[in-house]
Amino acid sequence: MSGNRFDAIVIGAGHNGLTAAATLAAQGKSVCVLERDGRIGGMSKTVDLDGAQVPEIAHLLYNLNPSVAKSLGLQLDTRALHTVALSPDGNHVVINDGSAVFADGSAHPDAQAFTALYVRLTKFARLLGQLADGPPPALSGGVLHVATLGELAKLGKLGWGLKRLGKKDMRELLRVVLSNAFDLVLDEISDGPLAGALTADAVRGGYAGPRSPGTVFSLMYRLGNGGTVTLPMGGMGAVANAFESVARSRGVDIRTGVQIERLVIADDRVQGVLLIDGTTLHADAVLSSAGGMQTMRIAGVASFDVEAVRRMRNLRNKGTTAKVNFVLSSTPTFTGLSAEQSAGRLLISPSARDVERAFNPAKYGEMSPAPLIEAVIPSLSDPSLAPAGTHILSAVVSYAPYALDGGWTKKARAQLLDSVIQTLDQYSPGIGALVSTSQVLTPVDIETMTGAPGGHWHHAEMGIDQILTVRPANMVSRYAFGVGGLYLCGASAHPGGDVMGAAGRNAAMQVIKDGVLG
Amino acid sequence: MAKRKVITPKHVPIGLIETPLFERLNAISRAKSWTGWAGYISPLVLDTVEFEYFAIRNQATLFDISPMHKYRVTGPDAQAVLNRLVTRDVSKIRDGRVGYVMWCDEEGMLIDDGTLFRFSKTDFRLCCQESMLTWLLDVAWGYDAEIIDESDAIAAVSLQGPTSWSVLQEAGFADVATMKPFDWREVEPDIWISRTGFTGDLGYEIWVPWAKASALWDRLWAAGDHWGLRAIGFEALNMCRIEAGFIAAGVDFQPVHAAMRLHRGRTPIELGFGKMVHFDKGHFNGRRALLQQRGNCGRYALVKIDIAGFKPADGALLYHKKKKEVGFVTSGVWSPTMKCNIALAELKAPFGIDIVDDIWAEIYVNEEGKWDKRLVPVTLKDKPFFANTRARATPPRPY
Repeated sequence: MSGNRFDAIVIGAGHNGLTAAATLAAQGKSVCVLERDGRIGGMSKTVDLDGAQVPEIAHLLYNLNPSVAKSLGLQLDTRALHTVALSPDGNHVVINDGSAVFADGSAHPDAQAFTALYVRLTKFARLLGQLADGPPPALSGGVLHVATLGELAKLGKLGWGLKRLGKKDMRELLRVVLSNAFDLVLDEISDGPLAGALTADAVRGGYAGPRSPGTVFSLMYRLGNGGTVTLPMGGMGAVANAFESVARSRGVDIRTGVQIERLVIADDRVQGVLLIDGTTLHADAVLSSAGGMQTMRIAGVASFDVEAVRRMRNLRNKGTTAKVNFVLSSTPTFTGLSAEQSAGRLLISPSARDVERAFNPAKYGEMSPAPLIEAVIPSLSDPSLAPAGTHILSAVVSYAPYALDGGWTKKARAQLLDSVIQTLDQYSPGIGALVSTSQVLTPVDIETMTGAPGGHWHHAEMGIDQILTVRPANMVSRYAFGVGGLYLCGASAHPGGDVMGAAGRNAAMQVIKDGVLG
Repeated sequence: MAKRKVITPKHVPIGLIETPLFERLNAISRAKSWTGWAGYISPLVLDTVEFEYFAIRNQATLFDISPMHKYRVTGPDAQAVLNRLVTRDVSKIRDGRVGYVMWCDEEGMLIDDGTLFRFSKTDFRLCCQESMLTWLLDVAWGYDAEIIDESDAIAAVSLQGPTSWSVLQEAGFADVATMKPFDWREVEPDIWISRTGFTGDLGYEIWVPWAKASALWDRLWAAGDHWGLRAIGFEALNMCRIEAGFIAAGVDFQPVHAAMRLHRGRTPIELGFGKMVHFDKGHFNGRRALLQQRGNCGRYALVKIDIAGFKPADGALLYHKKKKEVGFVTSGVWSPTMKCNIALAELKAPFGIDIVDDIWAEIYVNEEGKWDKRLVPVTLKDKPFFANTRARATPPRPY
């Protein structure tokens, strides 16, 4: 597609933006994707670090939406990873597909309780997961309205699903769904690395501790597609490339290194996008995968009602998670883990209590002295990622608050790096000496690089007050965003974050349904 | 024995606050009938409501409007902020002019109405009933404009009645002769006069710094002597504003931010002010919601009605064909000047819009201890009940 007139323009070439574009293109619409960065991918990029290919921000796939993968026909070579909950005493727990055993092969005393809990949670998660495949339900049209009937049918399906759980499970779901992960997990299993792993998964990426309400929901969200964690062969960049190639094959015009000055709006309708170089691109719809407030700013605050602006100003999006990437000069060894076990997802969250304690400093603008780490050494599974003999270690580190007291100075970053190395060193003595190159990305860096507000993974906290019909906020949960033809299609829209693509797909479907493209 | 220290207990003052004119009002108040208005002591009646009412329509009257909320909006974006706030096009109000304005929430429901005084494109004063500071701050977010709450910095009196111009002349404000309705100007340093009011009659509002209010009062009081100047309370004013067809916050509409119950909000269109909603001026708060009601398809209609008989019908239920309940009176009074039983009433659409005939009011009357119910016919009116050319004549005539 040449020229500057399109049916729709998508802002941001992350997975959601690309999914939205590809979904519209599949309907025969001409679409242009505008990306500020020089490369597509957003948070799922592979970057070169000293000759090694590291996953810059996101490093694993948890939640790729099956409907998205199917409708896009994504071709992805992935490998399912087991999880290792590291224990300071060396009795690590290997978690695989809902079962838990000690790394030395001996039985874990809580294995049965864990499996029962895991099965129950994934069952609940799958049920709630059906809500991800469309806009959140809305009955505002009144029960006699035609559009409402479809909504009722959707709710009916959910209700039927609830009913089919059986009385016991249904009660249990309703009992726990709004509660906190700490109580849920410790009701079933004793505190330790296994409980630590579950509770840390419940809060990773969020501004919450396991005792925060709503963390059972965020745990279920994580388990939305069965809880399997996969490592993409070729790195996260390969995932982005897969999205990109689907979009391109459908004729989407993807432009990188493009800065937007503002949206062009006339008579309360989006007309297109004005670029910083003075070019105007025309379109009947603009789908923004940027955050709510950023989208408001490029459209102009004047185009939104005061209440809508207030909601976006007050959106909770405090990023708490840093990314630290290492290039290691040789193969690291973890005490008590086989080489094969070391290739899994390594969790440092020794107990649920430790996870909660790690969150406390973040509340006061401090980083956790004993950070939670989700580490993966992708080069153990895919040697092509690093020069022979060397390895990469990718660590997601909590909690590193966006608004750190005193700011993310050189010293603060060094302190973060140091505490990560020290923490890893407890499980892999001497690993610090193997580090040849390191990269620290604080939430502030992540915001600068990707535009994610607050450097938050999900662009807006996945709290009970910011999900479903109130995601990102009341009145804007169905993608349409104030101005006619303007839509949100990123992680801040329903159903939310993770490399998932559902928000992008849902938004595109809504654009079609609303008929704004004629 | 050691002397015990005596501590005089002192608590935070509670109760109503005095306006700068309270002393003057209290000195002439026979009725000692006060009410609370935005936290200030305000007279309901000073003498008798009949005396005060007839003074408004036949002489001149002073009413202390200092409790009114007043906000100054200044800065390069002041006009843009106000255009974002209100439904009408503020750019059409010229310097030295006053405009009646309404503002809505995102659902198009009226938050409040008020008067907007324009000093210049970068300097305005907004006067209203409800406390509005936090809302104005939210409206101005992202704009280069400053909002200052002037409520207790600016005092004002409302001088209303056919001889009000004469009183001003007598008091030495000769410049006022050329002022047209809704004009306003600084007639002396720190004294601003606007030709505005809430009575539908000839009248002015005079605005001064808080500390200069009593001096202004004394000056007017001395000048008003042979023009029949009286001080009045809220009750007489309320009769006149119903005669003029003006709506009152909390009475004829519920300011939506203060309403606790669902669906109590009303749009300007439903209140009969569709002409004040300027859809062509760009986005303003509630525009998208109000567009849905464009073309007079509101859920309700606030109308002026004339009720048979002479029993004031405040709160009366209204029926269609004496059967179907279709609305109620929001403000009702016997109009001594028009000699009719007038009211503002809210009707549920399509009544009051497409169906205007065969409407009845249910009135309860007490005849020396015996209550009786009557259904009396109601006639819808489309003009204010009280309208007199003297209210608009420029220069005004001395009466």
